[in-house]
Amino acid sequence: MAPFSRRQMLAIIGASVAAPSIVSAQDTSPIRIGGMLPLSGPGAIEGHQVVKGLEFAVKEANEKGGVFGRKIELVMEDDESNSTKGVTAVRRLIEREKVPFIIGTYPTAVVIAASKVAAEYKVPMLSGGSTGAGATDANTPGDPWFFRAWPDSNGQGEDTARAIVRQFKAKRVAILHDATNYGVTLADQVTKVVTAEGGEIVAKESYNTGEQDFSSMLTKLRTLKPDVVYIGGWAGDGATIVRQAAEVGLRAQFVGSGSMLSDDFITLAGPASEGFAVATLYESTTPNEFGRAFGERFKAVYKHEAGTLNALGFDSTNIAIEAMRRVGKPDSAAIQQMLKSGMKDFPIVQGPKGATAAFDAKGSVNFPMFIAIVKNGKRTLVES
Amino acid sequence: MKKLAILLVVALVAAAPFVVGGYETNVLMNALLYVILATGLNLVAGYCGQFSFAQGAFYGIGAYTTAILSRDLGTGFWFNFPVGIAVAGLFGLLLGIPALRLKGHFLAIVTIAFQTIVYLTLSQWTSFTGGQTGLPVPSIGPVSLFGTTLFEITSLRSYFWFTLVIAVILLFAVWRLLQSRIGREWIAIRDDETLASAVGLDTTRGKLTAFVGSAALAGAAGVITAHAMRGVTPDDFTIWISATVVAMMIVGGKGTFIGPIIGAVLLTSMPEFLGGFAEYKMFLFGVLLVITVTLLPEGLIGRVRRLRERFS
Amino acid sequence: MDLFLQYLANGVVIGSSYVLVAVGLTLIFGILGVVNFAHGEFYMLGAYAGVTAVTLFGMPLPLALAVVLVFSALLGFGAEAILHKPMKNRDATSSIISSFGLAVALQNAALLTLGPQPRLLKTEFSTIPIELGPVFMPLQRALIPVAMMVLIGALYLILRYTWTGRSLRSMSQHATVARLCGVRVERVAVVTFMVGAALAGVAGFLMSSVFMVHPIIGNMIVLKAFTVVILGGMGNILGAAVAGLLLGITESMTSAYLANGLRDIIGFVIVIAVLLFRPQGLFGKAFERS
Repeated sequence: MAPFSRRQMLAIIGASVAAPSIVSAQDTSPIRIGGMLPLSGPGAIEGHQVVKGLEFAVKEANEKGGVFGRKIELVMEDDESNSTKGVTAVRRLIEREKVPFIIGTYPTAVVIAASKVAAEYKVPMLSGGSTGAGATDANTPGDPWFFRAWPDSNGQGEDTARAIVRQFKAKRVAILHDATNYGVTLADQVTKVVTAEGGEIVAKESYNTGEQDFSSMLTKLRTLKPDVVYIGGWAGDGATIVRQAAEVGLRAQFVGSGSMLSDDFITLAGPASEGFAVATLYESTTPNEFGRAFGERFKAVYKHEAGTLNALGFDSTNIAIEAMRRVGKPDSAAIQQMLKSGMKDFPIVQGPKGATAAFDAKGSVNFPMFIAIVKNGKRTLVES
Repeated sequence: MKKLAILLVVALVAAAPFVVGGYETNVLMNALLYVILATGLNLVAGYCGQFSFAQGAFYGIGAYTTAILSRDLGTGFWFNFPVGIAVAGLFGLLLGIPALRLKGHFLAIVTIAFQTIVYLTLSQWTSFTGGQTGLPVPSIGPVSLFGTTLFEITSLRSYFWFTLVIAVILLFAVWRLLQSRIGREWIAIRDDETLASAVGLDTTRGKLTAFVGSAALAGAAGVITAHAMRGVTPDDFTIWISATVVAMMIVGGKGTFIGPIIGAVLLTSMPEFLGGFAEYKMFLFGVLLVITVTLLPEGLIGRVRRLRERFS
Repeated sequence: MDLFLQYLANGVVIGSSYVLVAVGLTLIFGILGVVNFAHGEFYMLGAYAGVTAVTLFGMPLPLALAVVLVFSALLGFGAEAILHKPMKNRDATSSIISSFGLAVALQNAALLTLGPQPRLLKTEFSTIPIELGPVFMPLQRALIPVAMMVLIGALYLILRYTWTGRSLRSMSQHATVARLCGVRVERVAVVTFMVGAALAGVAGFLMSSVFMVHPIIGNMIVLKAFTVVILGGMGNILGAAVAGLLLGITESMTSAYLANGLRDIIGFVIVIAVLLFRPQGLFGKAFERS
């Protein structure tokens, strides 16, 4: 097959001839950017949180006058956590909506399928909350089309496991994780690092997301007397586990994965959340001044504290918009080049003070995570 | 005349990628896959009267068969395709056995239980199925005959045409099957099982073949999907997929050849019609299902036929 | 042994919630022959109604319970008009598909209007622990089996000793004869749906202080309830009560002695096995399945 059919060739020639007049005519028309998240079906709860971050970044960019005098318009697609739907949605965003880049999506499995297609179109994608290492590992090193402005789940598992062994001096560790990719990779990584650092894994149990009753599993754990119980999964399930653990009299240091850091978590878990520790990407009391400022602006608009998922969505969108501004035009290939090397000075709201969008060859940004502990119903960061 | 019309429709669909973009081609390909799935369900539910909520599970079994074969044995599409169909058919046979003893509600619930077990197995047996991350699957790649490469199936368009060819072959096979003795046996079982067995029909064989045929079609769609997507993940084979296929068959008109085809095309392209209401997609889907079952029990096709009879 | 008793108690608590949902389901099936997939949505909406009544309007618990009862009964009234009235003389699968559609619509309506954030009802009972020998649990959990027994007992008395109850039972035995004897079939259908929905709604409200409430909680509970209904013999109320407790206990033991990851799968495996070898359920009498 020839790379271009005659029709397409004619269209391209036509477009290049007509281009100058189109640009001047479109000067004030909004630039459409793409968003793709699970807004129904499994993953909808997380998707709806991430989307707030996207919308907030677009809102702020427009309040500052948009980019090159044009407003930004977010076009959202629902992938329903389904890779067939995700691939179709990517094609729609690129072909119909002509978006220069896509923020999406949350389930790593869908990212892997969808980013292959986006890369064929040479349109960059920025993670909509996906943390699985598989997504960035699927990139061609040195020429990534999928970008994630935070460490992958392996990094998170490693930082957490170190904290478990060194900070909490744990010898006996129990691991509970959900059956999603996120929970499984975290659990495996924690197992590996804890064992390497001299700790012992006394139990490893999985659960399905949305499972309601953990009392018997936790009763069994109580008999194993773990020093630390690690929970890898989402906030709702984590809160249920922590609350029910208090009910069955399981006393141990609880450590959770990065998503368990919203105010919702503390409200839902109640007094049982006291002492709960978590390795986190974002925290509204972060020493990162950009993160703190973001948290305050976010709270003023949405009337609740910004959580990790809000921050993830915000960072991806904010970075992509800034990259487009620096390029000077909504050109996908140029934006990819800019993301690859030109954003090393651009601050992000996650991570420690001074974290920037310095993507590595695989399209990932690496920084150490915080360890935060709940004290008197408030999260407090601990120095490591 | 009718043959000519069918040829014309197939030719028009085949020409579509020259006119429309990649997105529309992709939607059309999804529609073709759902046509295979809904037609498969129609065999067992529409013609044989045995309700099933497990089409998504067979779809997944086909997809995972090819993924696991190409991972463990390194075999390619042309080996995996018949194996995938056979494995899905085998599971269809397994699910058909309870159908010999159960009817209506009970059978529906068994198929739901089966669908749930398959999904939980795909998503939790990580060492075998890759868990939630799923497994990568290679492209179909070059197709050669006697050592010369005829064409290559890697691009979206080539997958679309390939799916179209397979869909046409499968639909033709189904059509012939329905004209045959076995097809008439299915209808006899659906209309009156006691009578069917009284006149000496082997209802056991009839039901089991319907289940196997239904599952085999879903398996075929699964193998193609796995290669076209270059990967499989459990969330592509949930009970929602089964429910969608059921809805397609019902909305189009069960027990008719063309009904499920129309239903599949309509519901696959439904988000296109919603525009700004895409957020309400699932809600509208539920409402549509209720309305169809309540007001159009024979589906769109049944209603159209009724109207035509009245005016002629 | 002490641990075993604790696991048993945990199983009874979770099993009690299955019983409440399953009894309504089996009632609707036994009397009207309707397989109602939207039953889990009654549970979900009942929970939301209760949580809203308490947290938003500051109602005391008994008043909130009354609100839940009325609200769920109304839902049941509406569901009957959709799932039963227009479906007479249709094959069994019509109501299955229609109720599935209704479940999808209700669930997504809840997601669109109430949002995805989980909620939890906080009561004054949440922190009071009770101990019964080696078994230990918070009072609110211990109250669930008690409430279940009160409700099922009340239902049993109504079915046994009131005119409405007798007409319900006569319908389940033979609809035509019941009609001949002066039972108003339409009214019975409406009452059945209202009672079934109210039981599920109250179950949702009871569990909202123990488990999270969000728009998709109905999915799993309705599948579990179906398992229970089949195990107990479809239409058999006492069977559903026993099977519900058994499923809860089985799940609890699976978490404790096998692996927690298996607990959701085990019920479905049992149900397929039971249907293959004893299709009338564990406690059902054999009769023609159609």
